[in-house]
Amino acid sequence: MLEKVKEILGTPSDFTAETMDNGYAKMQICFFPGMCDMDQLKDAIIVPFSYRFDPDEFRRLLHTSIGFMKDVPPEKWVDFLLKGYVIIEYEGEVFLFRAIRRMQTKPDQTQVEASLQGPQSAFTENLDLNLTLVRNLYNIPELAVENFEPQNQSKSKIALLYDRAKRNETTLEEVRKRLRDLDSGLLLSAGQLAKKISQAKYRLFPITQITERPDRLSIHLNKGKLAVLMDGSRFAILLPVHFFDFMYAMDDHYEPSWMSRFLIGLRYVSMMLTLMLPALYISIVSYNPEVFRVQLAFTIDGSRAAVPYPSFIEVLLMLFMIEALIEASLRLPRSVGSTAATVGGLILGQAAQQAGLVSSIMIIVTSVVAISNFVIPNSTFSYFIRILKYAFVIVAVFAGLVGVVVGLFMLVVYLCNMRSFGEPYFALFQSKAGKASDKIQ
Amino acid sequence: MIRYYYYHIFYVGMMNIMVLVPYVLISHRFDGAVSSFPLAIVFGTVYSYVTSAFFQRFPGLGLPEIYKLFLPVWLANCLNMVGVVIWCTAGIIVLFSYSNTVGIFFDPEASSYLNLAIMAAASLWAASRTSRSVQFTHEVLLIVSTPIILWILFKALFSHWLDWDAIRLVADAGIRKPPSMVCLFAASFVFSGHMNITLFNRLNPKDLKFRLRWTIPIVGTFFLLVSFFVPIGFHGTQAVGNYLYVWSVTTDSLMMKYGFIQRVLYLFLLLYTFLSLVFVMNTWHTGMEFFKACFKKYKPATDEVNVPAINWWICGVLAGLTFVYAYFTNDIFNRVAAELWLVTRFIIESILIVLLLVFLVMKKKGYMKRIDDQHERRSGGASR
Repeated sequence: MLEKVKEILGTPSDFTAETMDNGYAKMQICFFPGMCDMDQLKDAIIVPFSYRFDPDEFRRLLHTSIGFMKDVPPEKWVDFLLKGYVIIEYEGEVFLFRAIRRMQTKPDQTQVEASLQGPQSAFTENLDLNLTLVRNLYNIPELAVENFEPQNQSKSKIALLYDRAKRNETTLEEVRKRLRDLDSGLLLSAGQLAKKISQAKYRLFPITQITERPDRLSIHLNKGKLAVLMDGSRFAILLPVHFFDFMYAMDDHYEPSWMSRFLIGLRYVSMMLTLMLPALYISIVSYNPEVFRVQLAFTIDGSRAAVPYPSFIEVLLMLFMIEALIEASLRLPRSVGSTAATVGGLILGQAAQQAGLVSSIMIIVTSVVAISNFVIPNSTFSYFIRILKYAFVIVAVFAGLVGVVVGLFMLVVYLCNMRSFGEPYFALFQSKAGKASDKIQ
Repeated sequence: MIRYYYYHIFYVGMMNIMVLVPYVLISHRFDGAVSSFPLAIVFGTVYSYVTSAFFQRFPGLGLPEIYKLFLPVWLANCLNMVGVVIWCTAGIIVLFSYSNTVGIFFDPEASSYLNLAIMAAASLWAASRTSRSVQFTHEVLLIVSTPIILWILFKALFSHWLDWDAIRLVADAGIRKPPSMVCLFAASFVFSGHMNITLFNRLNPKDLKFRLRWTIPIVGTFFLLVSFFVPIGFHGTQAVGNYLYVWSVTTDSLMMKYGFIQRVLYLFLLLYTFLSLVFVMNTWHTGMEFFKACFKKYKPATDEVNVPAINWWICGVLAGLTFVYAYFTNDIFNRVAAELWLVTRFIIESILIVLLLVFLVMKKKGYMKRIDDQHERRSGGASR
């Protein structure tokens, strides 16, 4: 056995392959010490084999314990080894023992989708633990889990979850097909997987939602939809989704109803602001200042008195600054991050305006755009909105206010034309979100 | 699902402004406009009752499919082509007059073709989508813009600049005159939202009940009276005749005291951009589907995964035609064209109503072809 394994693996230095001899019997054993749980290994194999050795009992242990697998074809051995299994050969028979080292033993804290009063536990990078989390919240026998193992280089396990009583068969079949057809290459995160199963590359909006919250996943399953979990990623993929799902924070289910309604309204307003404000600024300043009441038009024009170039250059300049600032503070280590924010704040604040490079109104516009963008509860979605606002800026540069309105019309048409795995993406009065959340309470 | 039917009723009621209905009515304000209103209300109500009752008996079938059930192919195709012409010209006229309005009020210096190009591109794209997408778009935009438009209308109604004396004068003088045909034709347009069911009935489920039909005359009458009388109240009995885009000027007489925008006109025009584009989208889409129905191979589909290329071609041709129309025409000719269209529309609608009644009789007597394999409508659950 050892020779066969070494033939494929070579002799990496983090690999242990030995023949053990306790004086009565011999046993070949091989494993990756770094990937195995040594305590488990000791309890299950080393102790019974060494100083508690009894040939009958040991044989019985190997054959009956559910931790041991027999009759695994030799070509699969290495795959199992690479996942953290231990292979032993005893009396001419080969057994695989599952001793995978679990990095996580307790749920993560929510980081991306923080909630004030909801559950604080989030998915981990361990699939089994994640399934436990889901089962705890969605504790009914109809919950079905299907495993997929794509034949690519990372071979991460993928689990497809759905409610057997409520699921939509056509969607399910389509998703299964796409999961089976995953191509080769490294598959590293849920985001990447989501991209691969949504297929079209240049879509303007996400048709799957990525979440770290088991409670969101349970609500989603309860609506008869599907979820995909992937080993090694602390995010789950929800599908199919609607446009409106992205504007829900989980707190909306836990807070008083009036408050959550108000907040949802606030989010939509913010989304419109972050999407349209730069474009509106350009079209009003450069095309139709008379739309605003006279005093306001004068104020805006007065604040632009020192600015030497047309409004769209001003907008592009400031948008570049704010995007750069956001990007920088996202990637920097925390200790340097605050410095960047301070410096950036200074530039974006008083200095640029006093230097006559941008108008003070533009600074307000920029900050409103940035803040409103952060209000959107889903980060993927807020990325899409962030990039979409440039489309409106371009339209506004060339066609003014009318162009912006026509652009908005086209955006609505685009959204209404989208389907997320066969379900309409942007149809009003079709979501059963309210009903489902009632049931879960 | 019935709500989609009423969306059409509502938006056509509001759209009459852009098809120059108020202009036609106001130019006849002293000779028979007012007295034709009761007639228009009766005709509009009866027509919408007939169509809804008829299409309720053929759930999931559009007009082209129904033609095929009762008529020989050549006749069905001829009727389809009449539909294509009448629907598409409506879109073209509205697109032209609206891009002109926008040009006049927003940027008089820019080339009028620029606005037309943007709007034609948007309409082309929107109209070539699937019927279901068109319906969703319609719903969203209508729900967004209707409350604000109604607010503007009520603001105008309760404005103290509105001179009720002028309105009373016109109403009093007009009602004594014999009704004018042109005004009847124009006024009945306000009620013609029900015609959209000829295509969108394809999306209606089997058990659809047309409830709340009594609201149709109320909604129509409201929009008709408002769009005729409010401009008269603002401009006076004589001056109101001076304007072509009479409602744009009327809303410009309104002022918002609070907020960023002072002149209601701009809000009004921006909202009507939505409505006009929705109108063009609906008309072109209907025209396109009618045209496609003339081909033998055509199977009515309401929610394809990928839009067939022919959609792009047909709508592209329509957009091109709009440019040709814009090149050869001007506001004055467009006015005549709109009037002509309103007249033709009413006549064709009347013929259609008679035809529908004949179909009903034929169905009762059993002169109907077999409903062949019912197509695979509403298959919906495709991927993506």
